[in-house]
Amino acid sequence: MKVVHASARKLGLVSCQDCHLLVRWPELAGRQSASCPRCGSELHQRRPNSIARTWALVITAMIFYIPANILPMTITSTFGSKQGDTIISGIIYFIRNGSWGIALVIFTASVFVPLMKFVIMISLLLSVQFKSVWRPKDRTVLYRMTEAIGRWSMVDIFVVTILVALVKLGVLANIEAGPAALYFATVVVTTMIAAESFDPRLIWDVLEEADE
Amino acid sequence: MSEDNHGSRAVDQVPVARVQTGRSFSVIWVVPIVALLIGGWLAFKAVSAKGPTITITFENADGLVADKTLIKFKDVEVGKVTQIELLKDLSSVIVTAEMHKDAEDYMNENTQFWVVRARVAAGEVSGLGTLFSGAYIGCNPSLQGKQARHFRGLEKPPVLTEGMPGRHFVLEATDLGSLDVGAPVYYRGIKVGQVVEYDFDKQAETVLIRVFIHAPYHEKVFANTRFWNASGVDLTMDATGVKLDTQSLVSILLGGVAYDLRPHVQPKAQADENQMFILYPDHESSRQKTYQVKRYYLMYFDQSVRGLSPGAPVEIKGIRVGEVVNVELQFDVQTLDFRIPVLVLLEPERLHGLLAEQNAPVEVAVRAETGAERGSHTEKILAQIEGLVNKGFRAQLKTGNLLTGQLYVDLDFYPDASPAQLRMAGDYPVFPTVSAPSEEIVERVDKILVNIERVPFDRIGEDLQLAIESMSATLADIRTLSTTVNREIVPKVNASLDRLEAILADLDTTLGPDSALNYNAHQMAGELSLTLRSLRSLLEYLERDPQALLLGKDGDKK
Repeated sequence: MKVVHASARKLGLVSCQDCHLLVRWPELAGRQSASCPRCGSELHQRRPNSIARTWALVITAMIFYIPANILPMTITSTFGSKQGDTIISGIIYFIRNGSWGIALVIFTASVFVPLMKFVIMISLLLSVQFKSVWRPKDRTVLYRMTEAIGRWSMVDIFVVTILVALVKLGVLANIEAGPAALYFATVVVTTMIAAESFDPRLIWDVLEEADE
Repeated sequence: MSEDNHGSRAVDQVPVARVQTGRSFSVIWVVPIVALLIGGWLAFKAVSAKGPTITITFENADGLVADKTLIKFKDVEVGKVTQIELLKDLSSVIVTAEMHKDAEDYMNENTQFWVVRARVAAGEVSGLGTLFSGAYIGCNPSLQGKQARHFRGLEKPPVLTEGMPGRHFVLEATDLGSLDVGAPVYYRGIKVGQVVEYDFDKQAETVLIRVFIHAPYHEKVFANTRFWNASGVDLTMDATGVKLDTQSLVSILLGGVAYDLRPHVQPKAQADENQMFILYPDHESSRQKTYQVKRYYLMYFDQSVRGLSPGAPVEIKGIRVGEVVNVELQFDVQTLDFRIPVLVLLEPERLHGLLAEQNAPVEVAVRAETGAERGSHTEKILAQIEGLVNKGFRAQLKTGNLLTGQLYVDLDFYPDASPAQLRMAGDYPVFPTVSAPSEEIVERVDKILVNIERVPFDRIGEDLQLAIESMSATLADIRTLSTTVNREIVPKVNASLDRLEAILADLDTTLGPDSALNYNAHQMAGELSLTLRSLRSLLEYLERDPQALLLGKDGDKK
């Protein structure tokens, strides 16, 4: 007996996102859109414009990732001499001082994770756009990982925030947040929204189309 | 899918979604466009704010750190050191720095750079702020000059006078003495300026010292103002007692320059920017009337010049008008004869009315020796001297002191002297001489002998006896007087001398090398340097371990 992968879309149904009412999907022409007969919210079979939106956000994040790395993350002033530290120079500083653990944490949170997110999101987007049927389950796992791990990049911002609040010794030592902090936070937030706006069901839709 | 299916029937009862018309434009692409705009703006700012990259050569890079050391002008950041390298021949270091965009116009050949470090020199302590912030490179941008990108750094900070109200003057001295850049300039004991720079004038073989005098004291510098070296202590003893004269303790240690008018002299016009002045070696010599115009003449004497030494006076009718500078022995190969050229220096200003340039300003006269107008000037004077020579003006060696046989040069008119011309020999005009008239001497000795014969020696003998008798009486008187002097005055004089000795000893203990003042100054300097050293080690420690500020030293934890 052949197992049929039934999906709401295949059955011509859609569930309202707000009141969870199950409604039948009408035939739509041109610029029309469907709305819930009970609560009136707009209905979508898939997240609307998922691919375009995700692309846009990933590109935004990548643009902001450049100043986040070039500009200083923290500005340390000791005895009147100011020194700006970028993410990379901070990591190098910790490695030189033998603090491998801290260096690893910062590297993972600030360099490795954002870069991995870019690579995973772009490859997911490309695989959907080119209707790849290659290992859909693994790709879904990748997507879940990206979604779960994304917020942890904020660790870097938290560290900076704590440092700024903690080291306020006036002339002796003072740490200020650099402009890169803002850009880095933007990178983290936009990649999180990008992961959110990607619809993993698209991975499987390709398989359904291939089945038919 | 089966129609009988219960689920499908339930599905059939599911309501149909409403259909409405809406927009399909996706605004999400605005986000990356905005991101691009922000990124582009950042990139544009970074590129447009990038100023010129310059290199500065220094002797050493003490205290300079790449990517950290700033270049500042008036404490405003104008650039940053990006790289420090050694020269290939290891003679110095090259510091590469990135300047700010707005500093680009001021980077020209006149711009000066120097490293600002904490400096404790006699007279001033500067740059203490750098103890905390680290050394930085000071910069004195210039508005004029050719654009330049490679500079030679100064080892010492220059004295900045640009844009300050006041005036520069140039002092001409034979040697620099203890003066240094930054040495104070005093006007009646008030510090009113500084030595800005000094240089050796190759042409005139003198040292030119540039000083800056702040407003309003520059108005007190007149064309006839005298500058003198106020370094050290002036100790004078005269009829009025012992006088100790100094500008300030700083000037004893560091040297200094003072200026004022000579007493009872009316001020002339105010001195202009960069006007030249003579720097007198001390206050005393600055107060004396001096003669700036000096002329040299050669005189050849046939007779022996034994007793004529450099410094011997040249006189006209007993009034000094110059001095002998040099006496040499020359051997003439052609005539196989010895000649003695005597170089004398005349100060024509001493002869009022003669040699008309006496009223010329000092610097013109001094410059005339080396300057372009030398030719015409010298010719004029030569013409005047020529006239005198034609009238029989001659030099003659005369005995100034019969006991020591010291000679001097006498100038006088000898209408009977054989006609002579003023001619040039080498650099100097040759002044004609007349030899000491030996015949005249013989004649006079004759006359003297005749007179001696007329002397009534017998009567003189009687008178002498009388005189001796009265003299012995006088001598007795003198003896009583001298005993009085011995008894009453000499002890007083002795006491005074003892006191003087005590005063001098006191002075020695106060100012001498073993004095408390000296010792304390040494002690203070030593302690200051110790303090600076420990402060520096603290800062170096903090630089290495900034967390020590929060967590304490590593050692404390363990």
